[in-house]
Amino acid sequence: MFVTAPAAPHWRAFTLLVALAMATAAGCRGEGGVVPGAARDRLIFAAAADATTLDPHNTTDTESDQVIMMVYEPLIAFDDQMKIGPRLAERWSVADDGVTWTFHLRSGVRFHDGTPFDAEAVRLNFARVLDPVANHKRLSLFSMIDRVEVVDPLTVRFVTKYPFGAFEPTIAHVSSAIVSPAVAAAHGKAFGSSAPAVSGTGPYRVAGWKKDQEIVLERFDGYWGTKGVTREIVYRPIPEAAARVLALESGDVDVISRIPATDIPRLESRSDVAVYKLPGVGAQQFRFNVSRKPYDDPRVRQAISYAIDRQAIVRNLVSSFARPSTSALTPIMRGYVNLGEIPYDPDKARALLAAAGYPKGFATKIATTPRYPMGVELAEAVAADLKKVGITAAIEVFDWATMVQFWAGLPPEKNPQEIFIMGAGASTADADWGLRPIFRSAPTNENNYGYYSNAEFDRVIEAAMRETDAAKRQALYRRAQEIVYLEDPGAVWLFDTLYSVAARKAVSGVRPLPLGVVTFERAAVAAS
Amino acid sequence: MRGLGRLVGRALARLVPVLLAISILVFSIVHAIPGDPAVIAAGLEAAPATVERIRRDLGLDQPLPIQFASFVGRTLAGDLGVSIRTGAPVGQEILDRLPHTVILAAGGVVIAVGLGLAIGIAASLSRRVVTDRLLTALSLLSASTPSYWLALMLMLVFSVGLGWLPAIGVGTPAHYVLPCVALGLQSAGAVARMTRASVREVLAQDFLRAARAKGVPERLAIARHGLRNALLPVLGLVGLRVGGLLAGTVLVESVFAVPGVGRMMVDAVVARDFPMVQGGVLVVATMVVVVNALTDVTASWLDPRVRT
Repeated sequence: MFVTAPAAPHWRAFTLLVALAMATAAGCRGEGGVVPGAARDRLIFAAAADATTLDPHNTTDTESDQVIMMVYEPLIAFDDQMKIGPRLAERWSVADDGVTWTFHLRSGVRFHDGTPFDAEAVRLNFARVLDPVANHKRLSLFSMIDRVEVVDPLTVRFVTKYPFGAFEPTIAHVSSAIVSPAVAAAHGKAFGSSAPAVSGTGPYRVAGWKKDQEIVLERFDGYWGTKGVTREIVYRPIPEAAARVLALESGDVDVISRIPATDIPRLESRSDVAVYKLPGVGAQQFRFNVSRKPYDDPRVRQAISYAIDRQAIVRNLVSSFARPSTSALTPIMRGYVNLGEIPYDPDKARALLAAAGYPKGFATKIATTPRYPMGVELAEAVAADLKKVGITAAIEVFDWATMVQFWAGLPPEKNPQEIFIMGAGASTADADWGLRPIFRSAPTNENNYGYYSNAEFDRVIEAAMRETDAAKRQALYRRAQEIVYLEDPGAVWLFDTLYSVAARKAVSGVRPLPLGVVTFERAAVAAS
Repeated sequence: MRGLGRLVGRALARLVPVLLAISILVFSIVHAIPGDPAVIAAGLEAAPATVERIRRDLGLDQPLPIQFASFVGRTLAGDLGVSIRTGAPVGQEILDRLPHTVILAAGGVVIAVGLGLAIGIAASLSRRVVTDRLLTALSLLSASTPSYWLALMLMLVFSVGLGWLPAIGVGTPAHYVLPCVALGLQSAGAVARMTRASVREVLAQDFLRAARAKGVPERLAIARHGLRNALLPVLGLVGLRVGGLLAGTVLVESVFAVPGVGRMMVDAVVARDFPMVQGGVLVVATMVVVVNALTDVTASWLDPRVRT
C-alpha cells in the first residue's frame, strides 16, 4: 500500500537560507564545473540516500528500488503509464478457476553471472521470498501465492490460495524481480549487499558499490533486449537536499531527485536545467485515529474534511509539486474513480459538528513529521482552518522513527495520536494494495494505523480482492472509495503528489516513473 | 623519557573506564529514545508478523540487561555486531568510512591551527588598534558561523559560482578542500582568540623582559621564548576541539556527501540502527580519548611543569 518516506532529514531553515543566498549569488555565477569533451559515456545521478539493499525480496525504499529496476527484471512490468506489459515472460494467462496463472518465458535470457534464466529460476525465486525462515521483508506482499510449479523449462505456473484480482500488479512489482538463483545461493543472507552479490537479467550490471559513496552500473552487453544507451550510470548519494540542488547547478551531477519544494520554481527558471514532473501514486493525507473520541463519529471526520481549504493549501504551500486529491487513490492507479475535490465549506462543517454534539468545537492534536515535504507547514495550515470552525488543534512534531513506532503494532488504547500525517502510495499502483492494508479492519488490522472500521468497506474490499473480472472489480472499488473518501472518511486527503526529477539540459531519455523512481536505460548525455 | 612512557601508559589505562562508561551511556540512550528498529527495517508496507520475526532475528525481544550483556561481550571480543539496516558487519562498515572522517578531521585541525595561529599572533603583535580589532572581529565571526551554513556558502561560491572546486563527494584531494575549510574555520576562530590572549599575556612577562634586556633580538625573543610558552594553552584548546571537530563531521559529511563515519551515524540514528550507532560512537569516542591523551603527553613534553 503506502508510505512514501523522504530519505533524508529535511533541514528547512537551512534550505530556505540557501534559496535566499541563491538570489544574491545569481549574479556571480559562471559556467561552473562544466565537463568538456564529446558526448559522455557516463551519467551521474544524485540520489538522496544510498541503496539499502539490492536484494529485490528485501527492499522497502525507493532509493533501492530504482537501482534494482535497472539491474533486475520481473516477469511482467509496468510502463511509464503504469500499464502492464511483457518482460521476462512473453505472454501469460489466467485459467477459468481464477487461481491458476501460466507464464510463458522468454528464451535465451541469461543472468549477469551467466546462469540461464528459466522456469526453475522463477520457482526458486518465489520459494526464496516466501521462505518463512529466511524472513525477507517482502514476504507479506506475496502471501496469496499457494505454490509455483515448473511446467517445462519455459513455462511456469502460479497457483494462488484464492482468486486474487491484483495478481498482475503484484507480479510486476519491483520485489517480483528475478534474481540469479546461483548467486543468491552463493551469498545467502549477504545477497544484494555488495557488487559481487548482485545478479539479475536487466540492461545494467553492478560494477562497483562503495557504501554511501557511489554505485556504478555498467551496461550489460549480454542483455536480451534493447541495450542501454550510456555505458556507465553512477548513483551518488547526497543526503542534504540543498547540496543536491547545488551539485546539479555546479554540474557535479547530471540528474537529481527529491527536490525541495522551495527550489523547484528556481530550477524551472534556469535555462540549463529541465524539471520533469509527473503524477504518481503518492498522496498526502492526514489520518484519523477513529478509536478515540470524537473521531468515532463519521460526521466529525466529514466536518473536518469540509473545514479544510485544500485549494488554498496547495496554492500557498505546495503548488510546485501537488494537485488537490480527487479520491482515496490517485488517477494513475488501477481502480481509481474520480469522486471530485472535497469543497471548502466551513458552514457545512459547523453544521456537521453541531449535529454530532460539538457545536462549539473541541480540542485535539495533530501529529506530523518534517520527513514529509512541508510536513510541519501542512499541519499548521490544517490547524488554522480547523480553528475557524471552533476546533483547536495543538501540533506535535516527531522524527520519523518515533512516528513510525506509533503506526506499527500499537493497540488502539496505547496510541495517543488523534490526527496524524501520512504519505500514501501503493507500490503496486493498484487499488487493492492502496486501500486494503490501511483501511480494512477484519480479519486483521494489518497496517490500519487509524483503526478505521467500516463493515461494508471490509466486505467490499474483500470481494474486490478476490474479483478477477475487471468491470466488476472496478465497480467494487468505486463503492470502496465512496465509503472511505466521502461517507465515512478515514482521512483528509489533501493532495496528490507530483514526482519531480531535475536534469541538466544535456541529458535526454531520463525516465521518471509514477512509482516515485527514475531509471536511465534510455538516458544519454550530450556533448557540453 | 621514562616519564614519557609512564605518561602514555597512564593515558591508555584511562581509556578503559571511559569507554566502558560510554558504552553504558550509548546503550541506555539508544534504547531510551522512542523508535523501534524492527518497524523501520521492515518498512511500513510490512505485515505485523514480519516485524515480529525481524525483532526476534535481531534479538530485540530479549530483556535489556541480556541485550546489554551480549553487546558488551561481543564488543570485548572485537565484534561490533551487524547493521540492522543493511545487514553488513558494523566493524567493516566503520573501517570503510573511517579514512574519510580522519582526513576531514585532520584537515580541519590543520586549518584551525594554521589559520588560528596566524591570525592570533598577527593580532597580538600588531601595534595598530584597527588591525587588532579587525582580526579579532574576523576570528569572532568565524567562531560563531554555523558550519553547515558555511558549508553551503562555500559550495555556492567556489563550486556553483567560480567552478574551482567540486561541490560534493570524494575521489580527488580537491574534494576534501571545502569540507575541511567548513569544518576547521569555526575552530580557527577560537584558536585565534586563545592565541591572541595568550601571546599578549606572555609578552608582558618578566622572563621576556629579561630576554630583551640581555639583547636577544625582539623577533627571536618572541619566537623562542614567547611563543613556546604562549602555545601551551592553545595546544590544550586544540586537543579539546578535536571532539568538536569530529562532531562537526556529522553535518559537514552530510552536506558535502562525504561517505564518512559522521554521516553513517546520522543515518543509523534515523533508522534506529542500534549496533551502528553504538559502534560508531565507540570508535569516535576512542579517537577523542586518544587525541586528548596525546595532547596531554605533548603538553608535558613541552612544559616540564605539567609533568607530575
